[in-house]
Amino acid sequence: MLMLMLTVNITLMAQDSFSITGTVVSATDSSPIPGVSIIIKGTSKGASSDFDGNFVLDVKQGDVLTFSFLGFKTQAVTVANNQALAISLVEDTSVLDEVVVIGYGTSKKSHLTGSISKIVNEDLDQIAVSRVDDALIGQVSGVNIQATDGEAGAAPTISIRGVGSMAGDSTPLIVVDGVIVDSDFLGSLNMNDVQSFEILKDAASSSIYGSKGANGIIMISMKPGIEGKTRINYSTYVGFKEARQSDAYTFSIAETAAAELAANGVLSDRTKYKQLIGIDRSWQDVIFDGGMITSHSLSLRGGNDKTKWATSVNYSDDEGVLLTDNFTKYGMRLKLDTKLNEKFSFGASFSPSYTERRRFDGSTHDILRQTNWLPVYHDANTIQFVDRSIYPDVQIGDYATQRHFDNYDLYGDGSTLVDISNTSNTNPAAKILERERYDKKFKLFSSFYGQYQITDDLTFKSMASGSYQDTKRSRWQGVLSNRNGASAASMDEGSQRSIYLISDNFLNYNKSIDKHDISATLGVVFESTDEFFSSISGTGYTNDGVKQITNAATISNADAFEWKKNGISYVSRFNYAFDNKYLASISLRRDGSSIFGSEYKYGNFPAASIGWNISKESFLEDSDVVNNLKIRASYGVTGNDRLNTGSVDPDSSSSTSSLSTGDKLVDFYPSLALLSATTASVNGALLSGFSPLNIANPELKWERLVEINPGIDFGFYNNKISGSIDWYQRTSDQLLLNNPVSYTTGFSNALVNLGEVKNEGFEFELRTKNISTEDFSWNSTVIATTNKNTLVDFADSNGQIQNIDAKRAAEWINLEGMPISTYYGWVVDRDIPLEYLNNAYHPVGGEAQDVYVKDLNGDGLIDDEDKAPLGDPYPDLIWSFTNEFNVGNIDFSFMFQGSHGAEIRNMGDQYIFNQFNSGQDFNPATTPDQDFIKQKIFTDDIIQDASYIALRNLNIGYTFSEDVLSKLKISKLRVYAAGQNLIYKTADDYTGFNPESIDRTGPTTYGYQRAGSPIYSTISFGLSADF
Amino acid sequence: MKHIKYIALLIIVSVITSCSSDFLEPAPDSGITADTYFSNADEVQTGIIAIYDAWQGVNSTSLDDNHSVQYEFYLTEMRSDNTRTKSQEGEAAQFEFYNVEATNGIVENYYSSMYNTIFRTNIVLDNLGVIENADTALTFEAEAKFNRALAYFNLVRLYGDVPLIDRIISPLDTEVQYTRVATSTIYGLIVSDLTTAISGLNNAYKTRASKAAAQALLAKVYLTIGEYSLAQGLCEDVMASGFSLEPNFNDVFYKERNSEIIFAIGYEPALSSDSQNFSSEWMNGVGRTSGVNYVTNDVIAALDVFGGNRTQYSYRNDVSQITQNQVAKYLPNGESGGADGKTFINDATLAGNDWIVLRYADVLLMHVEAILAGGNETINGQALSSFQKVRDRAGLTTTVTIVTKDALLLERRVELAFENHRLFDLIRFERAESVLSAFSAANGLGYSSSDLLLPIPQREINLSKGLMSQNAGY
Repeated sequence: MLMLMLTVNITLMAQDSFSITGTVVSATDSSPIPGVSIIIKGTSKGASSDFDGNFVLDVKQGDVLTFSFLGFKTQAVTVANNQALAISLVEDTSVLDEVVVIGYGTSKKSHLTGSISKIVNEDLDQIAVSRVDDALIGQVSGVNIQATDGEAGAAPTISIRGVGSMAGDSTPLIVVDGVIVDSDFLGSLNMNDVQSFEILKDAASSSIYGSKGANGIIMISMKPGIEGKTRINYSTYVGFKEARQSDAYTFSIAETAAAELAANGVLSDRTKYKQLIGIDRSWQDVIFDGGMITSHSLSLRGGNDKTKWATSVNYSDDEGVLLTDNFTKYGMRLKLDTKLNEKFSFGASFSPSYTERRRFDGSTHDILRQTNWLPVYHDANTIQFVDRSIYPDVQIGDYATQRHFDNYDLYGDGSTLVDISNTSNTNPAAKILERERYDKKFKLFSSFYGQYQITDDLTFKSMASGSYQDTKRSRWQGVLSNRNGASAASMDEGSQRSIYLISDNFLNYNKSIDKHDISATLGVVFESTDEFFSSISGTGYTNDGVKQITNAATISNADAFEWKKNGISYVSRFNYAFDNKYLASISLRRDGSSIFGSEYKYGNFPAASIGWNISKESFLEDSDVVNNLKIRASYGVTGNDRLNTGSVDPDSSSSTSSLSTGDKLVDFYPSLALLSATTASVNGALLSGFSPLNIANPELKWERLVEINPGIDFGFYNNKISGSIDWYQRTSDQLLLNNPVSYTTGFSNALVNLGEVKNEGFEFELRTKNISTEDFSWNSTVIATTNKNTLVDFADSNGQIQNIDAKRAAEWINLEGMPISTYYGWVVDRDIPLEYLNNAYHPVGGEAQDVYVKDLNGDGLIDDEDKAPLGDPYPDLIWSFTNEFNVGNIDFSFMFQGSHGAEIRNMGDQYIFNQFNSGQDFNPATTPDQDFIKQKIFTDDIIQDASYIALRNLNIGYTFSEDVLSKLKISKLRVYAAGQNLIYKTADDYTGFNPESIDRTGPTTYGYQRAGSPIYSTISFGLSADF
Repeated sequence: MKHIKYIALLIIVSVITSCSSDFLEPAPDSGITADTYFSNADEVQTGIIAIYDAWQGVNSTSLDDNHSVQYEFYLTEMRSDNTRTKSQEGEAAQFEFYNVEATNGIVENYYSSMYNTIFRTNIVLDNLGVIENADTALTFEAEAKFNRALAYFNLVRLYGDVPLIDRIISPLDTEVQYTRVATSTIYGLIVSDLTTAISGLNNAYKTRASKAAAQALLAKVYLTIGEYSLAQGLCEDVMASGFSLEPNFNDVFYKERNSEIIFAIGYEPALSSDSQNFSSEWMNGVGRTSGVNYVTNDVIAALDVFGGNRTQYSYRNDVSQITQNQVAKYLPNGESGGADGKTFINDATLAGNDWIVLRYADVLLMHVEAILAGGNETINGQALSSFQKVRDRAGLTTTVTIVTKDALLLERRVELAFENHRLFDLIRFERAESVLSAFSAANGLGYSSSDLLLPIPQREINLSKGLMSQNAGY
């Protein structure tokens, strides 16, 4: 019977159905629209349009076909006969009804009342960078992504709307498909898997993440599985990288000799000797060795109406522009969503990755200050200068050191023995090449969820997710890396294991009644972090053979440490829209965290925002000019709980947090009174005791950020001109600070809440469709952000002056009314004339170490009273200007991006120009006005303008037409050439090679560059093919 | 309800991570907390050991670490007419030149060290409640209070009015941290603490608090505040407690815990955590400095004439630099340093010499001072007897028939030279002004009467935001 029925059915279908063809075009410019989803209403059957907008589908008479495509109004057509359909879709005046991820939910873009920017991954994956955050530069207003470290695989510094915390970590919260991950995951994600980024900027939007939201939130949506035919994509690119060198740091023996000859009429013996050695080159050429980046990514996505899946595998290898640096990444991903029935759905995702990063284990300043004449290896020429009485064993091919060249009998008669060395150090290239420093990380994040549709309007979703990281860091310093040879060869090893578990449990309610749209969210979140660190060192090896701890002569510094942190959060949000015109949203999150004092474990983070879609009002509804106009305003409170990441910084040997006390236990449990074991000698025997480690602060509480953000969204002339303007003011207070306290407490420092920092500015986004015809289109985007940082209140620490290097104690002042981390020092008056220097022409490229400074208060002497604020490290304006063109099959785009108003303290100048030689010191016997002379490093001489304008991205692509591809069974193929930073213009007074490069210091001493690492340009070629 | 199994599954997932009551208060795995740790007498005793750990100070060269008594000589001997730096340069030379800056790191370090010690005593006092045995509780209270009194006695003599902290305070209790309390009030606490200490202690230890140590210390406190008869009684209590002078003066310093020692800070050699470095600092370029606490010609003149057989054991010529003289008490681990006086077999910077705080000769001379009771001379038999004992041991056996105030001061100088007594003695005998003025004039130094008190560390003044005033002259 059953068989019979089936047979009948099939027969009936066969009789009634026929094949229909058609074309879908855009009503605006009649251009074909590929990828339109065509579904027979009430079924799951459908098709999608091809590259030329054509489709074929089996239908029956009377079937209703729905044509839908993002950005166009959905159209329904009833099948009358088998004639070809010509469908023209009308553009939905907006991207308005785009869906935006808002944290524990989604919203229509037209209903948004906060400040959230969405970036869809259209061709971000074609930018040849190995980290997803590097591709976001210039893409969105209010977000400053700075290449503070140019090493391959190094994280850029991301800040959203300025720096508000003293706690050291201003990195936004990263959420991938609803799972909170460590920002380090940005280095292991595959851009090809990313569907879109949503940046939650204002506090009202980010307060749904409560105590984690103060730095803003980057929400990343990974590409989901799709219904229908399995889509396979393969993408690859190869790029060639070249470092930007500093002209100021490039000098030659020839130039210096010419200057010396012009000034003195004769060359000094040293200069003659340098010319004799015959080597004259910049060390920049040695350590900036260029690099190459390659990437391969294969993804498969498919599914049916019940189950959708996506999987991918990727590999990339990024050889940085520095000597030895390299970043290799392997990753895979699986994401599965399935509907058990109408009410239940489940899903899981699983993303393991492995990265291996070889570090540039040295400092550019240390190498670039090396003298031009020093060879890397001895050759037949240079070996003859070696002082054989001291270095009898040096051979051709050995690393050359400066000392090898001392005591040279320049005239061959024993009359003059010339010394030219500055240092007893080994060859600078050896210091890099003979060391091996690796970070090897395995990371995994995964999640599992179940969702139950309780009623049509009410859903319950529970998600258990977690991330796991295992990192092994090793640092081998080989026998030749050190002037002390094998006995100083060493191995340091560390491992770090982090487990982060989180459980989200949410009720979502969505209801539309007449003109009322209501949505409500209620949830509870549990989270737990457990981290374990261990480290060990070995020193003294006989050779470079076995680079393991066990072969060391001395094993030391064995250490292990574990810590835990738990949290509970209660989340609620209520959104309301009336007639799509009047919008309101309120939310409240209550967070409890184990790290704060017993009285202050919980913090409340409320937010409220309102909006008015003026363009929906009757008086504008039919306007030809204004098609979208919304004004909105938001207020929100968020917090920062990331206070104890400082003392165990995964990628830096030193602490970067001003909160670090130097004791891990205190750093991780700051609200507790902690004890450590000690001993004392009592009547000749050692007795053990427990002594206090810290002064507990049971009143320790959250850093708090309060933000107001009014804004306007607009769209004119059918969205030919659209954009938004926001003004924000964020005030951070109760800042966590490891602050000096009275010694009478028994200690010198304690972690306290104090102070207030304000960031305010404008954000502007303008998108225009300048030309759009079938054959040619031109779109432009302008993004600009201003920010002003002010220290409003710093309590006891107002006027605090700090330095980060006692040997080069250049100062920062944190003074109320000025930006935090304001540079402080003397103001240059004039240079010391060359005639007063001991020897202006040795070393090569040297400059005076000192300078005359201004007596600002006119009291006839130079002292602390003459110091002044000298600028700050935060840009006042960052912007980007993007243009995209499409001509037939060719697309072309470029982005200029810039930053203005930041200053940098370029300590590189001291190393590279002075090279620590007394030749550049002034002569105390002859120099006048010595009381007015100070070292340049304490003046504004090394405070330089960090502004830049860069041609960040340039991309030319060609998409093959279908008739070519169909033979190859490829549905889409694009080849492209791209460039990054092909133009990079810095300010005139900037001497270094990367104004974005900033050393890792605390937030109250920010903006220090000790030469740093270079910015680089990349030229890449790639292809992306869909099968 | 066919979906019941799924609902059950969802509920399980959502509660699986649910918390126990201390979810938000996880105990550290890698350390212990004071809140939960002190639960019995043994554990409180480890808090007491921590007090002596504080007295030991950290053996390092960093000014960020508390050096406690290891740095005390800078503030006492080097501000008297007994010692100076060898190079007469740098921050350490501010003391001998009487031009100490309020920013001087050593001044700051000692202030910090004393309050850290006080903090540790307050922790013990705060946790006495967990001790079941009442006698044990009383003993521990006495021991903590002895140490607190000693720290305050040092503070009040060096800095004058200082903040009074007699409980555990939070960093936010700023008023008490910066309120300078009158010296008389501080002495009130010291007397009360020491009285408690005397009643609760016995004489079992020499490097922990004892009854005799508390008595001797209180005697010195009473001498300082002019309570002579009370001081005399306490000295006599100590004299009846079985202490005696070492026959050989040199043994006082090189036989640990000898019969003369009443209270000393214990050190052990070779252990960085329990050794001291002042012994090496006093040598020629052996420690971090090129040599500090070098002996002045002024004290040499006194020792050479009045020292008897103590002289040879008190100072010696620096054989590496023969115009200079070094302290011979406390040579690192008792080693002479070989032919050049600076070559040691054991690491001199990890010295184990105990630091003597109170010894019997000091008590005998205090006994004389108490009977003198501020007068100019005495022929009291008890006084003469105590005085004679000290002189006899030094080989100066001529019978003494009268002791003048200046003779007693001189005797204390040569007996207790380089043991950090001289400055306090001068002040207590009201001779500081005349002696130091003359010494300063003769050596081109900058003494003025305001130099008798050290400055409150400038850092504290700055942090107090106007609440705290500086001592006169700084």
